[in-house]
Amino acid sequence: MGVLRGLRAVLDYIYRLAEILAALCMIAILVLILLQMLARWSSEVFPGAPEYAAYFMAAASFLGFAAALNRGSHIRVSLLLNAVGPGMKRYVDIWCFAVSAAVVWYFCWHARQFVFWSWKFNDVSQAQDKTALWIPQSVMVIGGVILAIALTDHLLHLIFKGEHRIQHDNVETQEV
Amino acid sequence: ETWDMPMAYSASNFHSATGAEFAQCVTTGTGGEIEIVTHPSGSLFKGADIKRAIQTGQAPIGERLLSGHQNENALFGFDSIPFLATSFDDSAKLWKAAKPSIEKLLAEQNLTLLYAVPWPPQGLYFKNEVNSVAEMKGIKFRSYNNATSRLAELTGMLPVTIEAAEISQAFATGVAESMVSSGSTGYDRKVWESLGFFYEVDAWLPRNYVMVNSEVWAETADAHKNVIKGCAELAEYAGNWRAKEYTGFTLQGLRDGGMSVGPASEQMTGELKEIGVTMTNEWLEAAGDEGKAIVDAFKASQ
Amino acid sequence: MDYVVLVVIFLAVLFLLLGSGVWVGIAMMGVSWVALELFSNSRTIGQDMVSQIWSASKSWELAALPMFIWMGEILFRTRLSEDMFKGLSPWMAKLPGGLVHANIVGCTVFAAVSGSSAATLTTVGKMSIPELRKRNYPETMTIGTLAGAATLGLMIPPSLTLIVYGVTIDGVSIIKLFFAGVLPGLVLASMFMIYVAVYSKLSKSWNPSQEDGMSFMDKLKNSRFLIPVILLVLTVIGSMYLGFATPTEAAAIGVVGAWVLALIQGSLNWQTFRDSTIGAVRTSAMIALILAGSAFLKFAMAKTGLPKELAELIAGWEFTKFWLLMVLLVFYIILGCFLDGISTVVLTMAVLEPVVREAGIDLIWFGIFIVVVVEMAQITPPIGFNLFVMQGMTQHEMGFIARAAFPMFMIMVLMVFVLIAFPDLATWLPDNLRSGPGG
Ligand code: NA
Ligand code: NA
Repeated sequence: MGVLRGLRAVLDYIYRLAEILAALCMIAILVLILLQMLARWSSEVFPGAPEYAAYFMAAASFLGFAAALNRGSHIRVSLLLNAVGPGMKRYVDIWCFAVSAAVVWYFCWHARQFVFWSWKFNDVSQAQDKTALWIPQSVMVIGGVILAIALTDHLLHLIFKGEHRIQHDNVETQEV
Repeated sequence: ETWDMPMAYSASNFHSATGAEFAQCVTTGTGGEIEIVTHPSGSLFKGADIKRAIQTGQAPIGERLLSGHQNENALFGFDSIPFLATSFDDSAKLWKAAKPSIEKLLAEQNLTLLYAVPWPPQGLYFKNEVNSVAEMKGIKFRSYNNATSRLAELTGMLPVTIEAAEISQAFATGVAESMVSSGSTGYDRKVWESLGFFYEVDAWLPRNYVMVNSEVWAETADAHKNVIKGCAELAEYAGNWRAKEYTGFTLQGLRDGGMSVGPASEQMTGELKEIGVTMTNEWLEAAGDEGKAIVDAFKASQ
Repeated sequence: MDYVVLVVIFLAVLFLLLGSGVWVGIAMMGVSWVALELFSNSRTIGQDMVSQIWSASKSWELAALPMFIWMGEILFRTRLSEDMFKGLSPWMAKLPGGLVHANIVGCTVFAAVSGSSAATLTTVGKMSIPELRKRNYPETMTIGTLAGAATLGLMIPPSLTLIVYGVTIDGVSIIKLFFAGVLPGLVLASMFMIYVAVYSKLSKSWNPSQEDGMSFMDKLKNSRFLIPVILLVLTVIGSMYLGFATPTEAAAIGVVGAWVLALIQGSLNWQTFRDSTIGAVRTSAMIALILAGSAFLKFAMAKTGLPKELAELIAGWEFTKFWLLMVLLVFYIILGCFLDGISTVVLTMAVLEPVVREAGIDLIWFGIFIVVVVEMAQITPPIGFNLFVMQGMTQHEMGFIARAAFPMFMIMVLMVFVLIAFPDLATWLPDNLRSGPGG
């Protein structure tokens, strides 16, 4: 049990860390846009600012996915889940987590290959930043893997403990 | 067999029209055994993603402005060196000189070239009249890559990065006041609503290249290969002809929109030529021996 | 007949995944994968998925969205939104429909700030929903009008949809399109307001809390609460039209402006900073996952050729102008149920543009027609962007939100007929406001 508790702590730490990094990316987007504007107003140049902002945009999204899932921010249609009894609901939820985990792991597997090819082809940004694209793309893979882990985490929890760990799930609190 | 062909520009652009005819030609010529389906407007892959998509086999065939990839290899920028080849004839000679190197480079990337069609010559757009490089100082110039930023720097203009989607609005509100582009871009974007002057400095004539994935090409039957090559030759010829026709048409369009369209002053032309020499030398430094061989061969053929 | 099989399987898988409760963005990826596996010759589906998602995720234009969401979060977490309602309510309380109008007016004003309907919805909704709930307005009206009016973000300039339309179609000026959107946008907003007024008079359950009666001078005095938000809106709009900022940059100015207001007001502290930033991260991640799914879905649709095939079918028939528009209306409403509006424009215009030209339809006018239809797509189930964003904000069930928004959908259909009857609504302003060089 000690191992499991340790794993639990590590996973929760990873989700939290990803969310904080996502928030920092968001601040970075703001700072980059402002710097580009200030540069232009003062007749200076900040080459590549839009591209950097765009990479941080992707990073903020992917690093934020798992936290948004754990907080019940992601959207799902809850019609069926609300209509069935608690026993059935658990099976429907298992199906949802299983399908989602499969899709996201599939994405991660191919994203890893995608990034590998970017590196192998020497795929560089076509704009002024000249960034080697495997670097920002790696963040996409990392964020994707964290989301996939989170989905699997919930799935296993649901199978063995009977419930998932999503807080404030929009399935549970609704109707006026 | 269906070949999806991603293209970046809108369906009515002359490159897309040429591509659609090429696709039709191949489909008819192979009796429908190879059906090429064009996807204009970046509806399948966006412009910047097309080369990679063909390389990886995600798309068997596609069209791309290769000079967009000069960060990857300076050689790809041979057709975008300012004031090196400034007419359709010169541009054709430059392309002839560069073709073996480019084909070799593409082959290393799993790409086989089918045909290339030039854009109309690039000119300078300004909000207000400009007669010398000195008068350009401080003007906000839309740059989109290192070469255009460098051009701004050498002319004393202020490079501002404006993404393609924001061009019209940037000119309308004065975030940018100048750009270098072909007459057709300005015509498509209706820039006369914000800009007043177009100078036909014929800075360079970049090309769009239609390429096929080399593995797909190797698997194609010889009879079909011959049909495709024939269609490619026709398309290249028709595309060149259209580019020339379209140059006059778009310039007239800019005039009708109320812009002043004409050659730059003698002084400005001379000064820009000098900047061209600087930028050619800088390109040669980046492109190494192979680049030098291209420029030498081009100069010899003039 | 391949396409019939494709449509049947596509719908079956979509309803299975969405209906069982798979997260929307992931369900869209799943259905795209099935469509590509079964109906395309792609041997690289995994790579297609990643390249489309990567390309959609790293977008400079998209960066405006989290900025506006962030700005909404800040306004919501400081006293600014409460203040705004303090200023508005004495004026609107006596109107039939009361403060529900604040939803519509708020969206119309914010539509002039942002080019997207999701940003309009989150920013205005964050502020108005709690205030309207406090005052006991019927939830269906609060939600329906918000979901509907937020789509004005696409019609009133600046507008991302009009930019995409203008770039896709040669010979159409984006500036003229922007001008063309102004009057129809205002008319549509008025139609929403008339509906609210009529509904409030006819409904028996309409019983919001009454505001205290106020003298005219008190009302004026209370209006001072509006000044900060009005200043913020003017700063953001002004920065765009005076050439200080592009639309994306204007969004960043909005965030800084909201911080400054919070600072002056004394409600800026570590707590509000942290909560608003984390809140913005979660909301934009939620939207980004759906955008990722819709990028892959758009690719799958392009690859299977279904929208193009349908468009070619329409292009093959001979219609009079009016019936062509009717067929296109139905066509885009159906596509809009499954694809987001901008994707439908990109996927079908190459085929339909010549047909529209040939029918003698003014392309500026047609742009506005398209925007109304794209606006409808935002609120039609099963895939309606505003429905998703609204669900994220209110925790209501999708069906409840879709039903609440349905009257707004009908008003938009009515708007199409208004546009057909009075085409000048769209064409008068662009025809008469010629902005020459430098103007
Ligand atoms: Na707008
Ligand atoms: Na919809």
